[in-house]
Amino acid sequence: MKTSQEQHVCGSTVVQTINAPLPLVWSILRRFDNPKTFKHFVKTCKLRSGDGGEGSVREVTVVSDLPASFSLERLDELDDESHVMVISIIGGDHRLVNYQSKTTVFVAAEEEKTVVVESYVVDVPEGNTEEETTLFADTIVGCNLRSLAKLSEKMMELT
Amino acid sequence: MADICYEDETSACESRPLWSSRKWRIGVQRFRMSPSEMNPTASTTEEEDKSEGIYNKRNKQEEYDFMNCASSSPSQSSPEEESVSLEDSDVSISDGNSSVNDVAVIPSKKTVKETDLRPRYGVASVCGRRRDMEDAVALHPSFVRKQTEFSRTRWHYFGVYDGHGCSHVAARCKERLHELVQEEALSDKKEEWKKMMERSFTRMDKEVVRWGETVMSANCRCELQTPDCDAVGSTAVVSVITPEKIIVANCGDSRAVLCRNGKAVPLSTDHKPDRPDELDRIQEAGGRVIYWDGARVLGVLAMSRAIGDNYLKPYVTSEPEVTVTDRTEEDEFLILATDGLWDVVTNEAACTMVRMCLNRKSGRGRRRGETQTPGRRSEEEGKEEEEKVVGSRKNGKRGEITDKACTEASVLLTKLALAKHSSDNVSVVVIDLRRRRKRHVA
Repeated sequence: MKTSQEQHVCGSTVVQTINAPLPLVWSILRRFDNPKTFKHFVKTCKLRSGDGGEGSVREVTVVSDLPASFSLERLDELDDESHVMVISIIGGDHRLVNYQSKTTVFVAAEEEKTVVVESYVVDVPEGNTEEETTLFADTIVGCNLRSLAKLSEKMMELT
Repeated sequence: MADICYEDETSACESRPLWSSRKWRIGVQRFRMSPSEMNPTASTTEEEDKSEGIYNKRNKQEEYDFMNCASSSPSQSSPEEESVSLEDSDVSISDGNSSVNDVAVIPSKKTVKETDLRPRYGVASVCGRRRDMEDAVALHPSFVRKQTEFSRTRWHYFGVYDGHGCSHVAARCKERLHELVQEEALSDKKEEWKKMMERSFTRMDKEVVRWGETVMSANCRCELQTPDCDAVGSTAVVSVITPEKIIVANCGDSRAVLCRNGKAVPLSTDHKPDRPDELDRIQEAGGRVIYWDGARVLGVLAMSRAIGDNYLKPYVTSEPEVTVTDRTEEDEFLILATDGLWDVVTNEAACTMVRMCLNRKSGRGRRRGETQTPGRRSEEEGKEEEEKVVGSRKNGKRGEITDKACTEASVLLTKLALAKHSSDNVSVVVIDLRRRRKRHVA
């Protein structure tokens, strides 16, 4: 990164309400080593280092025809008490530079429902606007969280 | 290139034993799987049941044809009985091979003229440099048979599907889309092709969503835990060929190109997000096209129409663009292919190359790997004497060579795409459109 000028940064927050209890939702979400269960765009995932806990690094390959084929991601924080997960993207062949997301899981005001909030910050790539960057990232994050919701609700039906 | 795997004649041959056992079990004697049909799918119980339904339907259709011929016999006068006899002879010929003779009876002239022999075709699919094969191809000659008082005609279906995100949407299109088109064609009296195709594609798109909610194919990478798969989709470029028309319905960035009198005529237009009318449609629907490694809907998908991709609806629609082209004597062949080919080969170059293959003066050509029964050979030789190829004297006269030439042309195009460093799966279908005529004077 150029030291002479600041990189333009943007961010956004995506919220998803899920008709499933928090422990179930969190048990799926927290699996840093197995994001494929609910992230549609993940083709394969393997740990480069660590055992899935804080500090672990995973290498994710991405499904076809997306503007990326792999991504290197580090689990910065995993708190099972406050249900917070922080992940940074540290490499890959995509344009999301200095991407960091914080996902927090709450019990909704209505019991037996869960609210997942994912906030992220990322550099705005050259040639794109802040609006375009957040629209792209929101699309990916939104799809992932909707998938998490469907999976959680389906698993709850099975129990 | 170790990762390249071809699936052409070899896998077609391998598929025959499976088909043979099916034929015995369901008692269908006439139907024969085309040797160039690609990508045989491993049988599942569900699929076998469905297959039986399909073949039973065709069997009944053939019975209907035969009964209709037989019932017309008693009412004919003596000279016309000879004509009927010729028709019977034609029918018996068609039982033995995959070229089906159709007869249009013109009572005043007592001339029998065939106009819609099953077209010759070939197909090649190659994984290329990508690790997964997500293309699929569907080949269904004579998938619709129409009967009127004066004629019998058959329509032929060819489809190419380029999956993305995973393979199962394209695989599902391969299994079902021709059935939906068939249903629409048989129920539509006016032959309104645009509406028929639009309904078929809409139904296919809905089936993909619904299907994803209930069943998951064992041979795709998705796990049972993620059944909705909103982020998987496929292109679909489909051609229905009738005696009078070539219908193309396209959704996505695969393409159909006709070679007419040596010139490339596109019958479809690629659905790229930055195509001006597509860009307008997406924006009016509230979406955005973002340049993120190329023009992409919401920065994600590099095509503006697809079957599936539910998470990008309504910006990415499954509505096809339909063209209906009258056939002419100048039509030489049709190419259906995925963007793995068209991204690196122009329409004109593809036509030039296929033309060279189809016009090659190779005579008998090679028959490596082919097996023939004596009876079949004699039938072909008999048929050969009756055929006259219109449009090119240089073409090999044996029908079988033309099928082989179409396959060779398809393989050559895939090799050309790889040589030009295509980074995608490549699937190509070549369909020979030159008419063959056969005349009887009663």
